[in-house]
Amino acid sequence: MTRPVLLSALLLAGIAATGAGNGAWAQSSGGARALAPGVKVEVAPAPGSGSAPAAGKVDETALRYYARIGDGERLEAEIARLRALDPGWEPPKDLFAPQPTTPGVDETPFWNLLSAGKVAEARAAIAEQRRKSPSWQPSDKLLQELDTAESAGRIRSASDTRRWQEVVDAAAAHPEAVACNRLDNAWRLAEAYAELKQADRAFDTYRTIVSTCPKAKERRDTIFKASRYLSPDQLRELTALGATANPAKGEDYSTVRTAEAELETGRLLERLGAASSGAKPGALSAADLSRIQGIVRDKQDADGAIALGWYFQKQKNFAEAQSWFSQANGWAPSDKSAEGLVLAYNGLGEKAQARAAAAPWKGKSSRIDQALKAVDPPRGAGGGRSGPQGPSELDRALARQDFAECLSIIRSSIAKSGPTAALLQQRGWCLLEMKRPSEAEAAFAEAQAMAAREPAKGGQSAGAGGRTPAAAGLPQKATAAQENAYGQAVARLATGDTVGLTRDLPRANMTPAQKAEIRASLMATEANRALEDKRYNDVLRLLDARKELTPEPRNLGILRGWALYNLMRFDEAYAQFKSVDDRLSTEESREGVTITWKTIYHDW
Amino acid sequence: MTVSRRDLLIGSAALGLAAALPGNLRAAPFDGAAWRRYAERFLLPEGRIVDTGNKGISHSEGQGYGMLLAVAAGDRAAFDRLWGWTQRMLMVRGDGLAAWRWTPDGGVTDRNNASDGDMLIAWALLRAAEVWQTEAYRTAAAGIVKALASGLLVEQAGLTVLLPGRDGFRKGETLVLNPSYWIFPAIRAFAALPGGERWGKLSDAGLVLLSKARFGGFQLPPDWMTLDAAGTVGIADGFKKQYGYDAVRVPLYLAWDGYRDPYYFRPFADLVAKFGGTAVPATVSLPGGTTTQVAASVGMLAVYRLACRLAGAGDAVTVPPLAPDEDYYSTTLAHLSALAAQSLGIDP
Repeated sequence: MTRPVLLSALLLAGIAATGAGNGAWAQSSGGARALAPGVKVEVAPAPGSGSAPAAGKVDETALRYYARIGDGERLEAEIARLRALDPGWEPPKDLFAPQPTTPGVDETPFWNLLSAGKVAEARAAIAEQRRKSPSWQPSDKLLQELDTAESAGRIRSASDTRRWQEVVDAAAAHPEAVACNRLDNAWRLAEAYAELKQADRAFDTYRTIVSTCPKAKERRDTIFKASRYLSPDQLRELTALGATANPAKGEDYSTVRTAEAELETGRLLERLGAASSGAKPGALSAADLSRIQGIVRDKQDADGAIALGWYFQKQKNFAEAQSWFSQANGWAPSDKSAEGLVLAYNGLGEKAQARAAAAPWKGKSSRIDQALKAVDPPRGAGGGRSGPQGPSELDRALARQDFAECLSIIRSSIAKSGPTAALLQQRGWCLLEMKRPSEAEAAFAEAQAMAAREPAKGGQSAGAGGRTPAAAGLPQKATAAQENAYGQAVARLATGDTVGLTRDLPRANMTPAQKAEIRASLMATEANRALEDKRYNDVLRLLDARKELTPEPRNLGILRGWALYNLMRFDEAYAQFKSVDDRLSTEESREGVTITWKTIYHDW
Repeated sequence: MTVSRRDLLIGSAALGLAAALPGNLRAAPFDGAAWRRYAERFLLPEGRIVDTGNKGISHSEGQGYGMLLAVAAGDRAAFDRLWGWTQRMLMVRGDGLAAWRWTPDGGVTDRNNASDGDMLIAWALLRAAEVWQTEAYRTAAAGIVKALASGLLVEQAGLTVLLPGRDGFRKGETLVLNPSYWIFPAIRAFAALPGGERWGKLSDAGLVLLSKARFGGFQLPPDWMTLDAAGTVGIADGFKKQYGYDAVRVPLYLAWDGYRDPYYFRPFADLVAKFGGTAVPATVSLPGGTTTQVAASVGMLAVYRLACRLAGAGDAVTVPPLAPDEDYYSTTLAHLSALAAQSLGIDP
């Protein structure tokens, strides 16, 4: 931009300009003057000063404009120019006093639009007003507030579309847009720095927030936000700062201090999950493990208990696994906890107990039906070579949830003794678990075709559907054909073919339980889509209908919260997020709670 | 003028050189001589304006611009030739609007209209009616304005907006709009006609949309934008996602209608400031901000000069004289900028 120049040079420029003796001097072509090589002084007209001032009266519009924007250099030049025009003229004494608004222009309508969030409409109304009364200037305060509101919006949209540099630039241009009263934007700025790999600046931003924003809740939420980007050491520093720096009267910062411990729990649960599914079960120390157990017990956290169950199951500590799955099932009965329980009992050799644990879900949950195969292996699976007394290699792989191994066992088994419908179907399930739905769909279709050619097997003849008298009143057991149709439907769900599936479902050969499950999944998918399309009442309608069929899982609970939020049913949304968060606090649930809370209390 | 355009565009030395040159290097005013040169180059005897940058085709926009310039220059004979050709060759749709495009080989090959072309023609007719006191022009204008209002003005998200053409600008619930089709001074003239209230609303909506449709580091409007049912604006798919040859007219039309709020001119001044001393790029991708190697034409620079003044950025742009082979669009923009500046009472 312009470099500092000597005032005398400026005065000369001003006088030289007036030398033209032309009222419209500012618009003349000589506006940009080269005083010396590389030094250019631009003498700009003030907005609204396009017409020549009335003779005999000095036009102070530009003068006031420069005073208002604090441009000292131009102000001096303008004073010199006006003095040259009228040697008797003195600069007004109230030059730096707050701008009196033009008589007759009431700013209230613009402020009303602004406070209603209609920033663009406010801008439009101001432009129209300025067209009608060119000498009118909106107040500085109004312009500042508009700029800030726009910058805040710009930061949001740039960060939503991951244009991080623009977030940083917009925040730099209008620091008020990332102040404590716009905490969400301050977080977005820190995130932008982190994404731009400017770790120090990200940390500095978080540090500024936790040491200057007064509310304990804000500081605590900031620590959770920061946990995604900062090292444990930095988080510790942040927590210490947040718990002590610049305390505000009446605020209790103890919740800031506990944030770090809660984060630690989250990390431990994550590592526990990794230890259960990954290769290194020993990655967790005994101390860590006992801490998690304590926390899960305190919070009666069923998801945490299931995670612990799988951790012990993986270590073949079936007794401990069984106790955690039981605990989870006691706190919140679900097919997920029952599944673990079935497999843990099976590991302990207590098959009767395993079957009893499965009973409430049998035929209703594919998880449970799958787990039961480890308890009572279907004949024919694994190439028909497994003895009746022990699980086959394939069943053991399934019980371990080792689906890659499942595929390789099936591959070698088919190579050895040819494909069977049961094997192909099992292959479909394993492919589905490995998130390869298109291949899974093909496998189920293949199994279907194979089953049609195979002679009926055992007690399970295709189409004969459980005709023993004892079956009356019990969930109908699926035939092989129904299992295949169900598998195909699950695979189509995974590929996103909801339209086709919805169309075909009424005519599909499946048990009522299977159809209900697919229908519930379709509704969940539709609910997600409805949320994306902003059809929030539809989201609720779909989720309510789904809830009739099966309990609402956590992710849909969050979805429900956002639908309520967007319908501006903030109190219900808050209660919804809170209940999900109380069960297990994650970034998702915390975000819902925080944003809803802020909205209710206008605390941005 | 002894300095060629190239001399002035070579780089950072250009501004210093310009300041040191004798004489004024301001943009040329639009006068009788400028019109005669324009007509010699772009107006064919039969009455069509040739888009020299686009394989010699003609379009409703060009006819509209030509008619506006002819009225401004007081050349009634040329105006009548232009209007006659427009009626004969383009107004073949039967609904009072013009087919947007005519090629020397195939005539009208696409019957869709372009709303800005229709507006320019109608506005030029209204101005002609005033200058030459001819009721027939006013009647013709009113017919076009009525056809536009019934077919192209639509309500979306509480705003009255202008579809760019009869066909093809609705994508489900979302509309595709062109910010540079808000020819504010024309819209104001239409609003003053009997029953013109909806045009007043179109002006209001234009200002709202231009405040919302700001993208990228410079906060520039896109050439083509979307407006969904909730009032959210975006950059339209299916077109180049950029600010460029279309949207450069946004500040021109705002200025021409007497808008002086620097807020609406600052994005263009910021773009110029970023490239101050070197060539301003002709297009900027949105929202990314990638600029093209192609420099803004003389006509675009003339618009920028105007925009910079209204943004309070001074005379930041030096507009070189039109080159002997300057194309239709650049030349037109240069003259329109001069007309707009003259209407504001400032030198171009």
